[in-house]
Amino acid sequence: MAEAALKELASLEKYLGLKKTNKYSTKGERKVPVLQTKDGQDIVGLVTIACHLVKAAKQEQLLGRTREESAVVQQWLEYRIVQLGAPGAKEESRSTLRDLNEYLEDKVYFGGDFLSLADILMYYGLHSCMVDLTVQDREKFVNVSRWFSHIQQLPNVQQHLPRVHIMKNRIYTNVH
Amino acid sequence: MTLTLTVNSASPPLGALLTAEHVKSTVNVAIDQGKETSLKVADSVSFNDVNSIVRYLARLSPSHVLYGTNLLEQAEIDHWLEFSSRHLSGQLGSALQELNSALSLRTFLVGNSISLADFCVWSSLKVNSTWQKYFSEGQAPCHIKRWFSFLSNHEVFKSVGGKWTCASV
Repeated sequence: MAEAALKELASLEKYLGLKKTNKYSTKGERKVPVLQTKDGQDIVGLVTIACHLVKAAKQEQLLGRTREESAVVQQWLEYRIVQLGAPGAKEESRSTLRDLNEYLEDKVYFGGDFLSLADILMYYGLHSCMVDLTVQDREKFVNVSRWFSHIQQLPNVQQHLPRVHIMKNRIYTNVH
Repeated sequence: MTLTLTVNSASPPLGALLTAEHVKSTVNVAIDQGKETSLKVADSVSFNDVNSIVRYLARLSPSHVLYGTNLLEQAEIDHWLEFSSRHLSGQLGSALQELNSALSLRTFLVGNSISLADFCVWSSLKVNSTWQKYFSEGQAPCHIKRWFSFLSNHEVFKSVGGKWTCASV
């Protein structure tokens, strides 16, 4: 878990085009990632660090362009930590996927029609879940699969993670 | 080199206008209003068919990758151009079902970015009264609806759609 979070932050740095890599450590039993900044202040927590990196890279549009958009982005970043990061998240993954599938039915990105940090962190967070799905299940959660395959092909997003093969055409036409 | 696109303002060729707008950084297209749609490329050569016009414009500007990245994608785009002009006018019938199923696992119709296929299919739906009725009454199939709204929110689609469909009403 802790290693995954650190890898994720390293990938995010590369995606954002940040040249110099930061120094990280972890703390506590849950191995929460910590970023040591140059002026000696620590930034704690995956999402907090991720938002800091986005600002450092001057790509604030990834946090939402209006107040409404930023609220939606924050909501999904929190969901990422609380729902996907919680112990036992693996067992509940099917009900999580069902909810997300419903939510994504009328959206291209988590924020609606703009790419945000939420998409990138949700992609990293859902990757292990998507790898384990059968071809039939990937089609069952058709909206999650479509969103996932769109995000993973965006330039520089994929980084440390293997590609998940998702069909572009349906084979099980009776499921919706 | 300046090309002239004459636009029939009674039934504006939205697909051609969208393509012209997308390639404007490399291809100079002057837009003119007239009785019939045509693209004049040389003294003796002009195209009257929207599909021919969009193909020509896309080929002039390969850097915009509107005509796919390989032969397979080109063939897919050709399929959708044909589909948009044959099956998406008047009664929609089973065409919507086919389109909906194709869009269930795709963000864009062909490949991973916007292409002529998206322009032409979107344009045919945009001016189709059956589709407008479905869309406004909330009966549109979910995948087409998502894709259609996503494109409609793009700046270029907003400006082309707004300008030319208002003018024709």
